[in-house]
Amino acid sequence: MTQLLTLIVILPLVGFLLNGLLGNRLGKGFVSIVGCGLPILAFLVAVMAVRTLLAAEGPLVETAFRWALVGDFPFEVSFYLDRLSAVMVLIVTGVGSLIHVYSTGYMHDDSSYARYFAYLNLFLFFMLLLVLGRSLLVLFVGWEGVGLASYLLIGFWFSDAEKAAAGKKAFITNRIGDAGFLLGMFVIYSTLGTLEMDQVNAAFAGPVMPAVSASLIGILLFIGATGKSAQIPLHVWLPDAMAGPTPVSALIHAATMVTAGVYLVARLSGVYLHAPEASEVVAVIGVLTAFFAATIAVVQTDIKKVLAYSTISQLGFMFLALGVGAYGVAVFHVYTHAFFKACLFLGAGSVIHAMGGEQDVRKMGGLARKIPVTFGTFAVATAAIAGLPPLAGFFSKDEILWYAFASESGGATWLWALASFTALLTAFYMFRLLWLTFFGKPRMDEHTAAHVHESPLSMTGILVVLAVLSAVGGFFSIPHFLEHQMPLPAVGEHLHHLETPLIVASVVIALAGLAGAAWFYGGDASRAARMGERFSGLHRLLSGKYYVDELYEAVIGRPLTWVSDRIFLRIGDRAIIDGTLHGLTGIARQAAGLLGRVQTGNLHLYAWLVLAGTFALLLWSWRYV
Amino acid sequence: MQQAMLWFFALAALAGGLLMLLLRHPMRVALALISTMISLAAIYAILGVHVIAVFQVLIYVGAVMVFMVYAIMLLDVRDASFTRRYSGYLLPGLAGLVVLAFAFAWGLRRDTVSPAVAVGSVFDVQPFSAAFLNDYWLYFELTSVLLLAAVVAAIAILKARRRGNG
Amino acid sequence: MDNTQLLLALSTALFAIGLAGVVIRRNLLVMLMCMELMLNGVVLSLVTLSHQAASTTGAVLVFLVFVVAAAEIGIAVPIVLLLARRRHTLDADAFTDLKG
Repeated sequence: MTQLLTLIVILPLVGFLLNGLLGNRLGKGFVSIVGCGLPILAFLVAVMAVRTLLAAEGPLVETAFRWALVGDFPFEVSFYLDRLSAVMVLIVTGVGSLIHVYSTGYMHDDSSYARYFAYLNLFLFFMLLLVLGRSLLVLFVGWEGVGLASYLLIGFWFSDAEKAAAGKKAFITNRIGDAGFLLGMFVIYSTLGTLEMDQVNAAFAGPVMPAVSASLIGILLFIGATGKSAQIPLHVWLPDAMAGPTPVSALIHAATMVTAGVYLVARLSGVYLHAPEASEVVAVIGVLTAFFAATIAVVQTDIKKVLAYSTISQLGFMFLALGVGAYGVAVFHVYTHAFFKACLFLGAGSVIHAMGGEQDVRKMGGLARKIPVTFGTFAVATAAIAGLPPLAGFFSKDEILWYAFASESGGATWLWALASFTALLTAFYMFRLLWLTFFGKPRMDEHTAAHVHESPLSMTGILVVLAVLSAVGGFFSIPHFLEHQMPLPAVGEHLHHLETPLIVASVVIALAGLAGAAWFYGGDASRAARMGERFSGLHRLLSGKYYVDELYEAVIGRPLTWVSDRIFLRIGDRAIIDGTLHGLTGIARQAAGLLGRVQTGNLHLYAWLVLAGTFALLLWSWRYV
Repeated sequence: MQQAMLWFFALAALAGGLLMLLLRHPMRVALALISTMISLAAIYAILGVHVIAVFQVLIYVGAVMVFMVYAIMLLDVRDASFTRRYSGYLLPGLAGLVVLAFAFAWGLRRDTVSPAVAVGSVFDVQPFSAAFLNDYWLYFELTSVLLLAAVVAAIAILKARRRGNG
Repeated sequence: MDNTQLLLALSTALFAIGLAGVVIRRNLLVMLMCMELMLNGVVLSLVTLSHQAASTTGAVLVFLVFVVAAAEIGIAVPIVLLLARRRHTLDADAFTDLKG
């Protein structure tokens, strides 16, 4: 089959159309089968495509159709499969299918079941466009499309105004980043004449550098990535996005969409290799985001918000890796993160389901014995994210820390130090979450306690699968898989001997985090409460998320609203535009009123006007006769 | 001789027209108009267009003016328009008349006049009817349609009047 | 002044007088009669010019004008009669309903 890639992309689109148009009429069974079956089918086709790729010599390219022809330059919709896209497409379809199946259990009692699966399939379609697209244009279509799907799904329960507002916030913040992305595309097209990403990379790989600053392109595209992947300063939408259903948080805001920014930078590694300034910006923002998000996660009380800030933090790690030239390692972390973060989110969903909708960890506790499968999988995933060997997270995080320290393309000790401290915080807050949720005495009311129950097999089964993947996934070394395409950065000779000590250090850090969490939050968590009181100022700052939202509101939101209201609405729209129109109609009305005075109803006046007209005609006729 | 008669009837017609503006009683105005029309008929006859002269008397005087006289007799004429015969636009009207008259006079003066042509028998009844019913038969038919429409309209007015007063 | 000029002058004079009559006189029937005077003036000029051009077409046209004038009067007078019945007056100033 020659059109495998197109087929992969089309299958979820078909699912969207079927569920969207017919889902409500044909019932939940039909929706479930179509909604889950098509992504699974897409996964199988993806496996086939990857096998074809591995057997072939070069990347697979398929052109679907020509979109536009501008002068001599065609804009084609074509799909491109190389090893990087292979990893991404397998993650997207694989983890995506698992989450679809989980959703059949989680969303079972929801009234908008069909709409949910339609949107989820729509998301998958756009995400596949994003990862399989050959040109930046197709990628951008996918980029915007996943933003749309994200908006639709965050605001899924749109009758709640807060949830709808969260959707809006996500979309608008993304759009701000997209301005940078678009500028980057314009620069690339105007200087290189093509938007096909493999050709862009090739342009920078040749002996002659193109006459454009790679760093400029790098930074502009990275601005887009900060929007989509929730880095500072555009990270504010991700915690609010937790208003959507939990499987959505797992799929979109953990495993796939937020990694689109990482994918973009990795895909254009050819450009970033020649853009040291841009790479430095990427690395610095990545590590700062990781650190700040981790500090906020330490004090969060909503189970999903902890995971949201954790996601932001882990994305920071990925960008750190990208910034120091370890593109393959960043993709490795995308891969492992997809497994354990999805497992954590779905596990949180299971907990929320068991607690009858409660999300505040202060009201949980002692759930380990009551929902053992959820607890077991959650624990495995927590260990993975903390970086305990031999789970998946250990391998990927460790490589990131190593290259942050040792890479010749930007590695620095301070990057490593900050990243390691963040890893400590990560272990700490994740185990804190585990302790508060599952251990200790139950802190919930009688009614909820009586109703705690394990989730159905459609949910727990998926949790087990993801937990297993989180455990063993790290043994398949993605960086080596991608090495030919994205070589690992050179490491200084004098630093090689530090590799093993650093590995040991990271394990010690993970264990320290575990121990710290156990000490503070074990038992009745009173020690944590006392610490909170001692450092109440710091606690307030962190609980307030560094007041970034308030800052944006004050500095950007309120002035913008003021300008819109005072200048554009009152002056521009009402006074100028409406005023002009009303003025014109006023003139017309007054003129009509004036002319209307001729109609007095007096016949003699009319006859006299005929006389005057005859006279005028006479005069006029003399001009031409 | 003919010239003198022409001048005489021309002045008679003009006098009749002016009298129409001055007389108070509508019946007298009608008589002034009739005299003007008859003077015009005489002028046509002097010119040799006998067909038209006869038609002028028959149709205009005999039908149209008789009808007007009937209408005048039918109505009570001693109303507001009898006591004050001129409208509010008397002065503007007279001014307009003078201006218009001068404009016409000026227009007539500046246009050259072509010499008169001998009449011959072009306007006798036979050539007239021949032309009328051969070359201009379409307009003949159209005017009969017009008259039909007038009859229908008159009946409609009659019916409306009945309904209005019934 | 030769005949044609005389008659054309008469025709324009009758037209002007008729038009002025419509403006000046108050009585509806008199106004109608002044309109008839205008028509006569025009017919006179038509006859004069067709006589000058020795064209039968002019005569035919005159006849058609007579027919139209008759039809017009046949409708106009009944209308005036109806109006007069309604308002019990023939004064044109009483009929200002089309004001504004």
